Amino acid sequence: MSDREFHPLVKQLLDGDLTIADLPAELRAEGEEALSLLAAVDRTPVSVPAVTWRVMAALASRRRRMRTGLLTAALAIAAALAIWLLPARPVAAPSVVTVRFVLVAPDAHEVSLAGTFNQWDAHATQLVRTGTTGVWTATLTLPVGQHQYAFVVDGQRWVSDPGAPAVDDGFGRRNSVLTL
Amino acid sequence: MILTILTMPLTLLSLQQGIAQRLAGRVSPDVAALVEQLGTEGSARGLPVEPLIQKAIEGSAKRIPDDRVATAIRLVATQLDTAATALREGGLDSDTLAIAAGAFAITAGLSGNDITALARVGATPQALTVGLRVAGTLAALGVPQADNIALVSATLRSGKPAADLLVLPAQVQSEMANGKTPAAAAAGLSRAAAAQARRGPPPGRGHGNPPPHPPTPPHP
Repeated sequence: MSDREFHPLVKQLLDGDLTIADLPAELRAEGEEALSLLAAVDRTPVSVPAVTWRVMAALASRRRRMRTGLLTAALAIAAALAIWLLPARPVAAPSVVTVRFVLVAPDAHEVSLAGTFNQWDAHATQLVRTGTTGVWTATLTLPVGQHQYAFVVDGQRWVSDPGAPAVDDGFGRRNSVLTL
Repeated sequence: MILTILTMPLTLLSLQQGIAQRLAGRVSPDVAALVEQLGTEGSARGLPVEPLIQKAIEGSAKRIPDDRVATAIRLVATQLDTAATALREGGLDSDTLAIAAGAFAITAGLSGNDITALARVGATPQALTVGLRVAGTLAALGVPQADNIALVSATLRSGKPAADLLVLPAQVQSEMANGKTPAAAAAGLSRAAAAQARRGPPPGRGHGNPPPHPPTPPHP
């Protein structure tokens, strides 16, 4: 893991607020480097069993109470017991969500993703062909909220996601909808 | 008062500059001028500007002729107005995120009355915004309006956290994959949410939305 600090505009690029085309020319190399680092991260979703949340919450609770006296320790045990008895739930909702987009397009030469999250830039987010099966994928980290998008096949054909709900785009086509 | 009068033109100028910057190099000058005009007028009425900007950029990216982009932008402006009016009738004033979510729901096929009905559930603006987005997504999946509003209203009333609303489209899609119609899938989930609402919020979830209508006491 690099300790390097990226330029604030590059951070906005990573957040999806800007596209690579929005960056000044002198920052584009840095932007591409940052995107390649992001793409290398394994973002396979993991599910954490409910009991893990309880254990983590209990451990955090105990850790906070280590430095105090006997009475506090007794209170900590009581608090830990209470935590064990309460239903488990995460502390806060995430502000971003990692999403994998998939399109099956065996005859396509290139596929990209354009939507409200990248200013509808058909060149900003390329999908990668996985193997020889014609399955194209891209993994993005998006802010919670609502997003509309479409795949762009071979730079010309706008295609809605067959696996997602879609709405009229006002231009005679359909936009796919993602609600996070 | 004087300060307000002095700062208003500055705010207006700042808004117009912000729109111009967002659209510079992305759309034609005619389309940019239309968004500035509609955005400025709408902003004065508490409407969000972002949906207009997005539609302009989208139209340009899809290489749609300017006249059709202008028509689409005007339609979005109308939908924002309709959503804001519907929310006001439901008791919610000037929440731009909720208005944008309501406009999306209208795009997906819901009506102003549906939006008013959801606003009258009495959820927080944040939960209502999520509810409107989810209702729009359910409409896009083909869930009929009545079933849609019943399901989202029941879920809002059940006291679950707003984030729990977000799983509804996936649940409906899952039921549809098992052969159910969108209406039947929504109806089943709606019954479950209504039952949850009658039982009250689940333990440890005291931060959910309180049921807006307290249970009616039994008649003597």
